[in-house]
Amino acid sequence: MGRRELRLLESRRLLTLLLAGVFLWSLSSVDWKGPLIHTGGVGAFWNFLSSLFPPDLSPGFLRLALTASWQTLAYAVAGITLAVLIGFPLGVVASGSVPGSPRTGLGLAVAVRFILAAMRSIHELVWAVLFVAAFGLSSLTVILALALPYAGILGRIYSELFSQVPEEPLRSLRASGASPLRVLLYGRLPMALPDLLGYTFYRLECAIRSAAIMSFVGIRGLGFEIQLSLNDLLFGQVWTLLLFMVGMVVVVDLWSTRVRRSLVS
Amino acid sequence: MTFARASLYAFVVLAVVSWGYILLATDSGASDVVSVKTWSNAGNFVRQLSGVDSPARPAYLEADRWLATGRLALNTLAMSVLAIVLTGLAVLPTFLPGARNISNGALGGAPSRSGAFLYHAVRLAFTLTRAVPELVWAMVIIFFLSPGILPGAVALAVHNYGVVGRLSAEVVENLEPGPARALRAAGASNLQMLLYSMFPQALPHFLTYLLYRWEVIIRTTVVVGFVSAGGLGREFRLSLSFFHYTDLALLIMWYLILVVAVDLLSAWLRRVVTRGR
Repeated sequence: MGRRELRLLESRRLLTLLLAGVFLWSLSSVDWKGPLIHTGGVGAFWNFLSSLFPPDLSPGFLRLALTASWQTLAYAVAGITLAVLIGFPLGVVASGSVPGSPRTGLGLAVAVRFILAAMRSIHELVWAVLFVAAFGLSSLTVILALALPYAGILGRIYSELFSQVPEEPLRSLRASGASPLRVLLYGRLPMALPDLLGYTFYRLECAIRSAAIMSFVGIRGLGFEIQLSLNDLLFGQVWTLLLFMVGMVVVVDLWSTRVRRSLVS
Repeated sequence: MTFARASLYAFVVLAVVSWGYILLATDSGASDVVSVKTWSNAGNFVRQLSGVDSPARPAYLEADRWLATGRLALNTLAMSVLAIVLTGLAVLPTFLPGARNISNGALGGAPSRSGAFLYHAVRLAFTLTRAVPELVWAMVIIFFLSPGILPGAVALAVHNYGVVGRLSAEVVENLEPGPARALRAAGASNLQMLLYSMFPQALPHFLTYLLYRWEVIIRTTVVVGFVSAGGLGREFRLSLSFFHYTDLALLIMWYLILVVAVDLLSAWLRRVVTRGR
């Protein structure tokens, strides 16, 4: 074992100790003096679990759950499309492959990367709370709040995919006299497209979860109905809604996995 | 390519229908976009956040307000650390049985019925926990646990258990089978093979995912705090409902400081984890 590896091992050991200390500190900020579990919390827990057998499967409620699922899906899809529309051009600029003088291109890229980072540093629901306070509650406000952090993530990933495109085909395009714009349009973008598509489909699954929690600012959908049923202590209904949530996520997950697989082959 | 192309068309149709539904069947607020009143309201909100119109000094210029809310920021940070440790502790013993190549005996050893059962049980747990967002878990958990940072941390951990668990199991499925087979050929038992070949090979990936998720978790702590009443989230909600807008601005500043700090820390730790391989 070389000296450098030994030092690395030692610094890792030190780091492990440090992290363990941080964990102990985090435990100390929990209020251990008060009761951790509500009086009757254990009973409520068993009550909640036993309500799964069976969940509320009455036709009326299933219809309601289906409508709520559709509302959540619509918000998620609308949010993702807006995020792609914002994130794609920003991603192109952030990758620094915009035609023009290299210095302005680089300056622009750095500026846009900063904007993308700012967009994704705030959670979509925090955006939504702020936007509702600023613009009032409407579905477009909420969709914008959903789209901003997603555009920040998509823009960053897109820009990385654009820069990872192999150089040889681009070089041969340039050698045959293509302008920088043509190299971008006919070389870089189409080559990155499959990965881009695969990643966007993957994000759709996350968007469904984000759309569901927009109920917190008053948007209809699965989260909204879950909140209502919880308030009425109707745990059987909560389970039905949770199962719809799981089902939707699983279907979109299978879809996006198949899309990615078919893009690879 | 054909399936991907069909999916793309299907998605475009879905997008058109969704936008149609939102613009026509919901209170879309599309007419408000061009109304002057909306934008003057938004301008007012920004002015109130900065506190320029109020005679009082804005909260973000008061040192004692920074200190008071700093305690909440530390609580929020503690919530995120607790969440990530709980996630790690829960994933660690379950991600190996959740990998198909281990449960079906592809690395040697006979496929056992209990292995298959364990695989499906773990995978089901991953899917159920992952599909439900943190905030919904928090809304459920607050029925059992007393308000504070603990229910928030548990809610974050439950969702992230599914996310990290699935990713880690997939890493194991994509590992090179060579080292495991070599150990087996040298006479290692099943358990020895897992402990000395699969586990150490997967560990750096597992830690990297965990650190990545920490960045997501710190962004979500505030949201979970809305209902679990811990850290910055609770104060955020109170300031908003009492119209204490300069306090809100101060809380947003703390939130951003936490996000940037955790992003930098996580990037550094990930470098340490993957170095020297």
